[in-house]
Amino acid sequence: MITSRRRTPYILILPLLLAFSIFMLYPLYKVVESSFYKASFLNPTFRVYVGLENFRWLFNFKVFDPRWSYFVAALSRSLLWVGGSVGIKVVLGIAVAILLNSQFLAGRRIYRTLVIIPWAIPWAMSSMMWAWTLNSQFGLVNSILLKLHIVDKPVTFLTTAKSAFLTTMVVDAWVGLPFMIIMFLSGLQSIPDDLYEAATVDGASDWTKFVRITLPLLKPVILTTSLLSLVWTFNSFDIIWVLTRGGPIRATETLPVAIYNVAFLLTRFGGIGKASAMTMAQVTLVTVISVFYIRTLRRGVEI
Amino acid sequence: MRKLLCVVTVMAVFLMGVAMAEEVLKVLMPIGGGYTIEDQEAIAREFEKDNPGVKIEMEFVGWAELWNKIITSIGAGAAPDVMYIASRWIPVLADMGAIIPLDEYITPEKRELYYDMVWDTVTYNGHVYGVVRAMSTKVFIYNKKLFEENGVKIPTTWDELLEAAKKIHNPTKGIYGIAMAGKRFVSTVTQFLQYLYANDGRIVDEKGNVVIDKPNAVRALEFYKELSSYAQPGIIEWTREDLIKLFETGKVGMYIDHVHNALKAIEKGVDVGFFLIPGGPDSVKRYSTVIVTDCIAISSQTKKKDLALKFMNYMTSFEKQAEWDLKLGFVPPMVKEKDLPEFQKWYWKPYIEAIKYGYPQSAGVKDWEGTQEVLLDAIQSVLLGQGDAKTALSQAARIIKILQK
Repeated sequence: MITSRRRTPYILILPLLLAFSIFMLYPLYKVVESSFYKASFLNPTFRVYVGLENFRWLFNFKVFDPRWSYFVAALSRSLLWVGGSVGIKVVLGIAVAILLNSQFLAGRRIYRTLVIIPWAIPWAMSSMMWAWTLNSQFGLVNSILLKLHIVDKPVTFLTTAKSAFLTTMVVDAWVGLPFMIIMFLSGLQSIPDDLYEAATVDGASDWTKFVRITLPLLKPVILTTSLLSLVWTFNSFDIIWVLTRGGPIRATETLPVAIYNVAFLLTRFGGIGKASAMTMAQVTLVTVISVFYIRTLRRGVEI
Repeated sequence: MRKLLCVVTVMAVFLMGVAMAEEVLKVLMPIGGGYTIEDQEAIAREFEKDNPGVKIEMEFVGWAELWNKIITSIGAGAAPDVMYIASRWIPVLADMGAIIPLDEYITPEKRELYYDMVWDTVTYNGHVYGVVRAMSTKVFIYNKKLFEENGVKIPTTWDELLEAAKKIHNPTKGIYGIAMAGKRFVSTVTQFLQYLYANDGRIVDEKGNVVIDKPNAVRALEFYKELSSYAQPGIIEWTREDLIKLFETGKVGMYIDHVHNALKAIEKGVDVGFFLIPGGPDSVKRYSTVIVTDCIAISSQTKKKDLALKFMNYMTSFEKQAEWDLKLGFVPPMVKEKDLPEFQKWYWKPYIEAIKYGYPQSAGVKDWEGTQEVLLDAIQSVLLGQGDAKTALSQAARIIKILQK
């Protein structure tokens, strides 16, 4: 009986472990393994061990631009894009969460429900919706801007390098914002009211209360949430793929888009081995950033 | 326990019986762009009816994911027996050994059914690798009302084409001379190829040399850029597939597209006319068009080659082909199809006439997907004014030469 009771937790956890091994560990192992081989979908039977050659290729492949390797260019874009998008999500997320937490906002329960909608829509669908919303001829945004006489001709959001980069970043922020708001809102609700009451009695301004009470107590939630958002945003593919396919030229070709291109489209230059090396580099980078974040988070909690 | 064992045994025997009774043929088909699951399933069911004991298992994938699906399933050793592919993928798939040459299975009667040009689109290194299932030529669709209002005649040269776009273009009223594509997508490359081929330019010549940087190609890209001055703003955000939405509004003078999209515009009340794509200044040809085909290919991994060939021939029989072309609004690849009553209608004539001026979309190109990426960089950089056509195409030629090795 005791043996059976001891066995139960392992039996219960077994399906999860199996699923984790099949869907997470095995693919990860295959990526690590492939990164040391010259392999391509174009020639499935040909597979040669090349050691670190694929990792050297990351810095040597300069066919498209002699100044930067294809990988370094995509990585730089990714860092800028992820930084911008997560930044928007954090700042706006805190602002909207504070607004939704305010007792002076009428109908805040309705807003709290509405705010989750973008998160509930599949990302590819959201991207399609935004592609038409921002369209220069039929888009709602241009229609409003023109009717309010803010612009005198349609704005083409996705047609220059800079505007496409910013637009895709903002759309990504729109998709990810609800999660941030909900998390920050739950964090705000856990802050005791008496702290604010005491601060009010001491004559603290709203800004002082925000800086001295809200931000420090919200810090663990901000760090956890932004870490999750950072990982998701780094892996974001659908939004850019639907809106610009990495264009114009290669202005929005972030690392996930570049990995896809190397694996499937630029097969004669790249292939699955090199795409795996790019993936390994991304996973390593994201892991390093995550470890740094977690350490910061621990310090934050100790405070 | 015994009861359970009995049930399991009976079920296993039953399932084995079912499995043994049916020969399953796996077929990969696209959806989207007019291709529906229902239409394609109907063909499978008809074939099963005529061939008892055969089960056609169709797998459907969106056009945008079809290439990835094909190469990943081949890589995993699980390729479908029959694959619907874009003919431009044949060189890569043939070099991989992923599809079988079909020369010995194409009877002289079957060969005679199609235009010679059609076979060129599925031939690589002297071997036929597919049987064409869908073909398109394209011509200019124009808005007769806008042409008349602006006193524009049907253009027969590039100068006249530019002049026509210029005369109609009135962006303050939301009217555009021409609708053009510039988004990163295959159809943007094909739209540029319309002008490239019209000016007697090529990506790769008959001898396999990369000639995309030759003066006639440079002139074609310069013209594409010049013409874009009279197109809708922000053409970089448009694919050719989306342009119909703009043309349907009645505010676009002309654009290059399929007949089935022209019919949509007619339904919306636009007074539509057609004219063939005029030859460029460096070409002796009067007109031009890009011939795009999709075909049925057979996987080299299939263990049911005979059945696969039978299904391929069934799908591409004269009756089934004609039925398919009429249903989807594709240009007939078989010579005799043009004599069918439906193809006598006025809107079909320019598309059928264009066949004789056609040139295959990917002639001589060994790696279409890579080449497409490189050409998109060149087209977009010129459209955005980041480089001139000569520099952009020199850069493209340098990279395509590597891809052609």
